[in-house]
Parts: sequence; C-alpha cells; structure tokens
Amino acid sequence: MDEDTQVCERKAIDLVRYALACHASGKPLKRENLKAHVLGNTPARNTRQLLDRANELLTQNFGLKMVALPSHEKVLTAAPKAQPAPAKWVLQSTLPDAARQRLDLPQSDDDQAILGFAATVLSLVFVSNMSVSVDQLVLYVRKLGPPQCIAPVDSRGASDAHLDSAAREAIAYLTRHGYLDKVKLGASETQATQQPTDGGDHHDDGMVYTWGPKAKIEFQPLDMARFIAAATGQECTEDFLRIIGRAYGSNIASQ
Amino acid sequence: MPMVTGDTEPEQQMLVQWCMSAQVFSEPEFRQTIRRIHCIDEGKDMEEILPVVEQINGSMSAFSLELRSAMDQTSGVRMWALVNTNADPISIGATPYTASELIMLKTLVEGVFTEGSGNYSMSFHDALRLATKRGGTRAEVESLLRRFTGDGWLALDEGFVVLGARSIIELQSYFNTGFADYIRLCSLCKEMATSGVVCMECQEAVHPYCAGRVAEANGGQLSCPKCNRHIRQPWKFGPGERGVPHALESGALEAKEENVGVEEPATQSIKKLRIEDSSDEE
Repeated sequence: MDEDTQVCERKAIDLVRYALACHASGKPLKRENLKAHVLGNTPARNTRQLLDRANELLTQNFGLKMVALPSHEKVLTAAPKAQPAPAKWVLQSTLPDAARQRLDLPQSDDDQAILGFAATVLSLVFVSNMSVSVDQLVLYVRKLGPPQCIAPVDSRGASDAHLDSAAREAIAYLTRHGYLDKVKLGASETQATQQPTDGGDHHDDGMVYTWGPKAKIEFQPLDMARFIAAATGQECTEDFLRIIGRAYGSNIASQ
Repeated sequence: MPMVTGDTEPEQQMLVQWCMSAQVFSEPEFRQTIRRIHCIDEGKDMEEILPVVEQINGSMSAFSLELRSAMDQTSGVRMWALVNTNADPISIGATPYTASELIMLKTLVEGVFTEGSGNYSMSFHDALRLATKRGGTRAEVESLLRRFTGDGWLALDEGFVVLGARSIIELQSYFNTGFADYIRLCSLCKEMATSGVVCMECQEAVHPYCAGRVAEANGGQLSCPKCNRHIRQPWKFGPGERGVPHALESGALEAKEENVGVEEPATQSIKKLRIEDSSDEE
C-alpha cells in the first residue's frame, strides 16, 4: 500500500472510530466536528472518498452505515424540498430485518418507555397526513400519558394545568431530540390540517407538528404501518397498507 | 498499520452491535446472546467463548477496540466490555461528558483508587465532598455521581463508592501507568484486587471469591496461595473494612499485630474526617 493510500486508510479508520464514539454517546456526527477531529486539512474532493471508504468499513465490520440526518422542516409544503448538503450524520443498521429482530439489543426501561412513547406519537402524526395541530397533539399526549422519565406527574391527583404542562414538556422533549418538528403550515396545506377549536389562545395558529429528522431515519413508513397494525391488533395485509397509505398521503406497499 | 480486509460474518456484526449496546455484560449473558444469534439450541453444547472473542478482537484491533474482561471479586462471575484501547483526541472528542465532568470523574476514580486505608472505596458523603471541591452544587454533583454509577465507571456498595466494572476492565493500563504503587493483584488468579484479604506473613492479597475457593479446597481452612501459611486473622480490605494501607504496608501490618485493640492510623484518620464533616454541617 503506498503512502497516500495508507494515509487515506488511516483517516477512514479514524472516521469510523469517531462515528462509533458519537453513536455510543447518543450524539450525531457534525460536519464541523468531523473536520476538527478527523479530516483536518483534507481537500474537499477527497472527503467524499473518505466518507465512502468509512461507510464500507462500517458496513463490513459492524453492520452499520452513516446516513445524513435530513434538515429540520420550517414550513410544511406538499412539494418535496431539495435537501442541502448534509451537516449531520447518524449510524443506521445495515442488518436485514430478521437479523435485527433476532439481535434484541439491550435497552434500559427508560429508553424503552421513551421509544414506545415516540413511536405512538409519531403514528398519530403519520395517519394524520403527517401533520397535527399543536392543541390536538397536546390533547392526545395528555390522554396517552407521557413516560415518567420525561415528564413526571401523578395523574391521579394532578390538576388540568399540571397535566397540560406535562404533555407540553413531553412534546418539547420529542422536539429537542429530533423526533418532531414544529413547523408553519404552507398556504396550500392550511385546509388539509385540523385547526384548533376556539377557547384556547391562538399563538400557535398556523403551527403544526410533523416528523423530525430523527424520526425520518429511525422509522420507515413500512415499519410504522407494521407498528400501527400491531398496536391495533390487526394484520398488516396489502389492504391495510393501502388504507394506512391513504392516511399517510403516499403509497406504502410499493416502498 | 493493521490491515482491514474483507467482510465479517453477519453473526459477528450482530455480536459486535450487541456488545456496543450492552456496554458491560456478564459472561452468562454473553453466552446466551451468542446462542441466540447463532441459533444454537439451549440443550446443545457450545464451544468455549474464547474463539468468538479472539475472532472479534482480530477484526476490531484496527479500530482500537477490544473485548476485555475482569472477574467479579465476590461472585466470581466474569464481566466483559468492548473497550476503546486508544484514548486519543478522536475518542475523547466524542465522549458523552463535558470537560469538567471528565475532570470530576478522574478525580473520583483516582480518589477511590488511592484512598489512604487501602480499601479502594470512600463513603458517598466523602465522594460528594471531594467532587464539590471541583465546583457545582451538591445536587448537581449527586446527579453526576449517579450518572457515573449508571454508566459503570463507579458503583455503590453498602453506601460506599467503589470502582465500577467498567473502570476495572477499561482503565487497567491507566492504573498501571500512573498508580502502579497502589495496584494489588490476587495471588491466585493474578487479576487486580480492590477487595479481599491480605496475608500477614507475605502481604499477598486474595479476592473474596478466590479465598473462598482456596478454603473450600483445604477443608474450610484459608491458607495463602503464595506462602501456604494458614491465614488465621485475615486483614481485610474493601468497602467498610478496616483496610490495609498501601504506604509502608509491611510496617503498618507489624504495628497492627503489636497493637491489637489500639486504633490503627487509617481508622483514626477516617474518624477525624467524620468529626470534621459533622462540624462542617453545623
């Protein structure tokens, strides 16, 4: 192996190490940190090559790959936006479905509770054409009851205001961790989404929640449809996928 | 530079992912996971796990990762962890702790390891006092201590802060480099001992679990694995014990023998600290 190739291989290995360390810490890889810790003065034309080689090493040795986190949504529109150059990456498993299920990764009780809660909230957004008004989501989360590790509240004796505050805290948690984005409705979308009924303050008018970057990476539409089927005790048939696809706003069965 | 060549088997990729997720795990859990991933029936014999470990370490060495283990000193169960072997800016840059939290962790780990009575432990209250000297409110420090315990770097044993399994497995070379004078090795299994008994004759240490094995083999009589003398009055070290100081170890032991019933210096120091604590709280 010549010296240049050795240097590139060393940098790709360092990139793998850094990606794994970020993954273990629960942090995304950020472009600016990659430059500071790994890439240094590597010319931009070689960065793509390094990222590809690092992904090859990750897939071969760990069954993982780096995927770009989509950018946060600011305005909800029907037309898909062009994504800017990625600024953050996370690791995703490349193992087949059956293998991932057999793997059964250990998770703490808190992590399980948070993931279950996130999946349930995201499923509501999923079947609501991917947007739910602020008030509707708060109402839903109140009924669901957020996990104690996110928003501790004694639901037996708690006041309305307390329950409301706990629900908002839980939604804020999901937003901070990238599962939800609070966005402005685009002009053409205003009719399609439920608007708040009168009674509350309207400072969230025109604002809705949709899936955030982390949700888009961790939950594929087909996985979400299967989750909804399991949660509602139904079989995930082609017909079921067609019905869910209509609520989601896109064909799932063909993905 | 170690070469990285070719694909590893999907089962090995799955095992590595599991080890990364579990962080610190017991050997029985590891065996169960290997069975599940390789679809080996419970009733069937399984090869020893060492070939699996060697195979994983073979492909992980290029990435400065290694599966290492240490025995639980009381139960004898072997604990494993996939550890980073290169503490360079790359691994430090992605730590979940801030720079000040890392300093706090280092202070506590070193404080426990070099604790004067040779017990490799300190009371929770003493640990809080040591950590708050570095800054932060008592509540913040307490929360951080719990985080370090949850992550396996420290552990709580009957109200004492001790080294967690992750520190014992991952920080061996760190202790060897900076704190060699404080290291005790078990005379039977040759692994690091932070609790156990010390032989008065030759000052060799033995883990509680290993001492139990020796006693069982000798019809209930504990004798030193090195000098074979019967250990009649074992000097114990570990959380809540009288302790065996590191410094002037043989001198301290002779003093203990001559002055049975007189308080040894380590206990006097601890009592003095406790008197100071209660006057602080007033």
